[in-house]
Amino acid sequence: MADSQFVTPTKVTRGLGASKTGTSHHIRQRVSALALIVLVPWFLFSIMKAALTGYDAALAWVASPLNAILLVLTAGAAFYHMRLGMQVVIEDYIEKPGTRAALLILNTFFTAVLFVAVVMSVLRIWTGS
Amino acid sequence: MVQLTLPQNSKVQKGKTWPKPQGATNLREFRIYRYSPEEKTNPRWDTYWVDMDRAGTMILDVLFYIKNNIDPTLAFRRSCREGVCGSCAMNIAGRNTIACTKGFDDLPGGVITISPLPNQPVVRDLIPDLTNFYAQHAYVQPFLKTDSPTPEKEWRQSEEDRTQLDGLYECILCASCSTSCPSYWWNGDKYLGPAALLQAYRWLIDSRDEATGERLDALEDPFKLYRCHTIMNCAQVCPKGLNPAKAIAKIKHMMVERIS
Repeated sequence: MADSQFVTPTKVTRGLGASKTGTSHHIRQRVSALALIVLVPWFLFSIMKAALTGYDAALAWVASPLNAILLVLTAGAAFYHMRLGMQVVIEDYIEKPGTRAALLILNTFFTAVLFVAVVMSVLRIWTGS
Repeated sequence: MVQLTLPQNSKVQKGKTWPKPQGATNLREFRIYRYSPEEKTNPRWDTYWVDMDRAGTMILDVLFYIKNNIDPTLAFRRSCREGVCGSCAMNIAGRNTIACTKGFDDLPGGVITISPLPNQPVVRDLIPDLTNFYAQHAYVQPFLKTDSPTPEKEWRQSEEDRTQLDGLYECILCASCSTSCPSYWWNGDKYLGPAALLQAYRWLIDSRDEATGERLDALEDPFKLYRCHTIMNCAQVCPKGLNPAKAIAKIKHMMVERIS
């Protein structure tokens, strides 16, 4: 709401104008969700199955090319979707501009680190190093 | 951080219990939000006992019963008393609606609370200040915009195109939907809200309107449009049975369509 009693509601509503963005965010969130509909059930089912086969067999499962590719894709889609979703949550609930900007940046860094960590782990198992 | 509790001076306190009407056999308890800016005190819940046999059939009748027989200081807005003007929108038993079409039969059991529409400044008692809401409606420019020479008689439209406006033009701007939307509570200064966006869509799909792209431009914004998270409270409460969430989804669809 307006900070001053002298600012008109029209001024508040117009604000800084429409930013002409948001649609690509909307599309990215929907498309990553679509990918996750397929990838998450595969991931949960396979990871539970692999976990029951013992440590070496589980490593071998991750090291197979198809599984390694799908694992990285799952992490990519999931963390990307998470970044987009958390962005909306932060924008919804955090009003203070500085705190909001800091959290939005942290959100990007945090999900990027998680994604890189998954990729490196899979690569390490795949290459056997 | 968004404010999750009411500020100190908005916390509603226990108010007065008004005497029961004499000789009534069918009494019902109503707790009504009272606030007066001159008193410099917090709002309060006043308790009224209403003789349901003498109070008519609708909640607006109950308010008139109270004003005429118990407490003439109770303030509320009303005009048409038949669901056309949208003036008497308020929160009845925890749900936004218009008092004139909310019948006794629809009420849940127990004490009925009546308060002003949520999350708007209160002018007095059940009267919210809706100037921000009206400014948002004005923002979507709810009128026909054309550049072609105006026809001699009228702008024509096929019957099929006209049916596209059904479920949209009926909106009476009562603000029940916008003030029931959590996203509007948190970001009501930047998010246009379901009512304004329903009207925006009503003009976006009007076959006679020539400003579709310009209208989409004015809406394309993470806050003005994309704060709708399909919570659907708007469609739940609309006293005219409209579905603003669906209209907003269609606006998003148009946004995607124009870049793909």
